[in-house]
Amino acid sequence: MSAIEVVERAATADGPAAPAPRRAAAVLALARFEARELLRFVPVFSFLLLYIGYTAWQLYSEGDGMGAYPVLQDVDRGTQTGPVLLGIALLVCVNRAAVRSRRNGTDRHDGILPMEPWRRTVAHVLSVVPYAALTALVVAVEFTWAALKPGASGHGSFFELAVGPLCVLLAGVAGVLLARLIPSFFAAPLVVIGGYVLLVLAAVNLDGSHGARWLLPAVTEAGAGPLPSDLLGRPAAWHALYLTGLIILVACGAVLLSGARTRTALAVTALALAVTVTGAVGQAPGDSAALKAARAEASVHPERVQSCSVHGTSTYCAFPEWTGRTADWAAAADRVRRLAGGAAGGTRLTVRQRVEARYGPEGDAAIAPLTGPGQVSAGTEWGGDRNVQFAVGVASVLVAGDERAGSEVCDARVVTIMWLALGAEPDPLARLRGARLDDSVEGDAIALTPVASVAMTAGQTDVVRQLLRQPRYGVIAKVKAHWTELTSPRTPLARVAQLLGVKAPTTGEDNGETCDQ
Amino acid sequence: MRPVTSERRPKPYAVIRALLRPLWRTLPRPALAAAGGLGLLLAGLPRLLSGAPDPWLCLNLLRAAGLCLALGLAFLFDDPARHTTAPVPVRRPLRGALRLALAVPVAALCWTAALLLVPGQARPPVGAVTLEAAATAALALAGASAAVRCTDGTRPGAAVAAGLTAVAVTVPTLLLPQRWALLVAVGDQRWADAHGRWAGLLVVAVAVVALCAPEPLRRGSVLRPRPRGTAPTTA
Repeated sequence: MSAIEVVERAATADGPAAPAPRRAAAVLALARFEARELLRFVPVFSFLLLYIGYTAWQLYSEGDGMGAYPVLQDVDRGTQTGPVLLGIALLVCVNRAAVRSRRNGTDRHDGILPMEPWRRTVAHVLSVVPYAALTALVVAVEFTWAALKPGASGHGSFFELAVGPLCVLLAGVAGVLLARLIPSFFAAPLVVIGGYVLLVLAAVNLDGSHGARWLLPAVTEAGAGPLPSDLLGRPAAWHALYLTGLIILVACGAVLLSGARTRTALAVTALALAVTVTGAVGQAPGDSAALKAARAEASVHPERVQSCSVHGTSTYCAFPEWTGRTADWAAAADRVRRLAGGAAGGTRLTVRQRVEARYGPEGDAAIAPLTGPGQVSAGTEWGGDRNVQFAVGVASVLVAGDERAGSEVCDARVVTIMWLALGAEPDPLARLRGARLDDSVEGDAIALTPVASVAMTAGQTDVVRQLLRQPRYGVIAKVKAHWTELTSPRTPLARVAQLLGVKAPTTGEDNGETCDQ
Repeated sequence: MRPVTSERRPKPYAVIRALLRPLWRTLPRPALAAAGGLGLLLAGLPRLLSGAPDPWLCLNLLRAAGLCLALGLAFLFDDPARHTTAPVPVRRPLRGALRLALAVPVAALCWTAALLLVPGQARPPVGAVTLEAAATAALALAGASAAVRCTDGTRPGAAVAAGLTAVAVTVPTLLLPQRWALLVAVGDQRWADAHGRWAGLLVVAVAVVALCAPEPLRRGSVLRPRPRGTAPTTA
C-alpha cells in the first residue's frame, strides 16, 4: 500500500461520515493498550507489587496486638497513605507515555491519522483508570478485612476510603497534563521532586489554616487516640467532591491543551471548575460550634452520651460505638479483682470510657484521672499492651481507692499494684515489659494506665520481677493474707518483700518513702 | 579529509580538542539546565521563608537539590547517534569521560552555589552533604551507564530518572530498616555510620560507571536477547 493510499484512507475515515461510537471504541482500545504498556514500566510494576505486598503484609501481621481490635473510623483514614507512592510512579510513567510519540519523532504523523490528538490525550487519561480501580480493590479488601474482625468497632466512611483511589487517578491525570504543558521527558521527575518538597513544606507551614490544609490531596490527621466517629469533624464528603472535581478539571485542561476547543469540552471544564470550587469551599470551614459543643460534652461529661451495662457487680459505660467492648473490660477487671484480698475483691467498680476530643483528631492531650471511689477510666484502644494498661489502672484503684490517688502512689504499694495487674497473665514478664514505657524489666521506669501512670523504682521492679517468677498460687495466698499491710502507704519495701517471701533489694534507698523523688 | 593511517595517528590531545565542541553540542543541556535551576530554587527556599531557618529543613532541601542535579546527570549518556558512533576509532570510555569532564564541573559549580544559598547558621556539614550529593549523582550516572551498556536504547535517561525518582522518594524513607538509615539528622548518633554507607554507595556507583563504560560487544538488550541474524530497531 502506498503512502498516498494510506493518507487517502485516513482522510475518508476522518470525514464527517465516520460514526461516533466507533471513535469511542478506538479511544477505549488505545486506553487499554496504554494501560497495558504502563504495566511494563519498571516503576509502575514494582510499586504496584510493593503496594499490594505491603498491604497484604500489614493485614497478616497483627502489629502489637491492637490489630485484632481495629477502630474503623481510623482504619479508613489509614488506607490513604499507601496509594501515594503508586501515584508518584504513575505520574512519572504516564507522563513518559504521553510524550512518547514526540520523543520518537512520530507526532508529526499523528496529523494524518483519523484519531485527533485530543482523543489520544483522553486515552492516556483513561489508561490510569484500571490502576485506580485496582487501588480501590486493595482499599476495599483492607477495610473489609478489618471490619470483619470480631473485635472491630466504630464506623468507616465511604468518602475517606475513596481518597486513595482518587489520589492515584489525580496523579496519573496530572502526569498527562504535565506532558501537554511541558512536552519534554525530563520535566516529570523534576516536577515530582519539586512538588514533593513544596507539598511537605505546605503541609508543615499550613498547620493552622484548616481550609488551606485540606487543599492537599490526602489529609491524614493522627495524634490523638481513636475518637467516636461523630466527633472527628473531617469534611470527607466535601473533600472527595473536591478531588473528583480537580481530577476532571486537570483532565479537561490536558484535553483542551491538545486542541479540543469544542463547546462540550469547555462546558465540562467549567462544570469541573464549579465542582472543585464547591468542594474546596465546602471543606474550608473549620469545626462548627455544634461539633465543638459535642466534643466538649464527650470529653467533660461522657456520662450524658454513654450507655452503661452491668457485668457482675460492676458497671461498664462506653460510647455507643464501643458497647461491645464492655465484656472484654469486665473479663480483664475480674481477673485483677480475683487476686485482691480484703474488701477490694468485692469493690463495686464503675469503668468509664474516656476521650479528650476537644482538640480534634490531632490533639494529644492528657486526660485527668477520675476522683470518685471505684471509678476506672478506659481508653478507646484495646488489645496488646492496652489490656495491661487497663489492668494496671484497675489494680491502682483497688489498692489506692481512686484513680487520682492511684496515680500518686510512689511507696511500696506499687509492688501490689503491679502484681495484681500482671499476676493472672499467662506470660507476666513479657506483659511487664509491655506495661513499662521503656520496654524494660529492670531499673526504674513508668508504667502507664489509660489516663495516668505509676512510677516504679529499681527496687520495686526487682521485687515485682521476683514475684512474677514465683508460682502464682503461693503468691495469691500471701497477698490475700497480708492485704491490709500490703495496701498501707506506711509499709516499707523491705517489709513487703519479707511478707511476700522474696529477697529484699540490697540498695537501701528504696526501703523508705520515695514520694519526694 | 585527511585519511588516518597507522603511521600518522593524530595526537591524543588533538582528538580530545576536536571532540570537545561536538560533544558540548550533544550534551543534554536543557535537562541539565532545568535540573540545576530547580536545584538552586530548592536550596534558595529557606531564604524566602520567614522566621529563623530550620537546620533539618535546610538539610533536606539540600538533599532534594542534590537529587535534582543527579536527575539532570541521568541524561548525560543519552546519545541518539550511539549506534552510528559505535565503530569509530575513538572509544566509548574516552567519549564518556569527556562528557563527564564537561558536565561534572558545571554540576559542581551548581552544587557550590546551592550550598552558598543556604543560610550560614543553618548549613549542615558541607563535606558530609556533598558526599551524599556525590553518591546520589554517581548512582544516577551508574544507572545511565548500565542502561547504555545493557540495553539497546539510545536515550535511557528518562527511564533512569523515573527510576531514581521512585527509589529516592521511597527507599531511604520507607523501605530501609532503621539500622541502615541513610537520611539522618545532623547530630544523630548514626550520622557517621550513615555517611560510611553513603561513601560505600559512592564507591560502588563509580565502579559501575567505570565497568559499564566500554561499548557492549554485541547489540541488543541483555534482558531480552534477540535471535541471531535479526536487525535491531532504533525506535
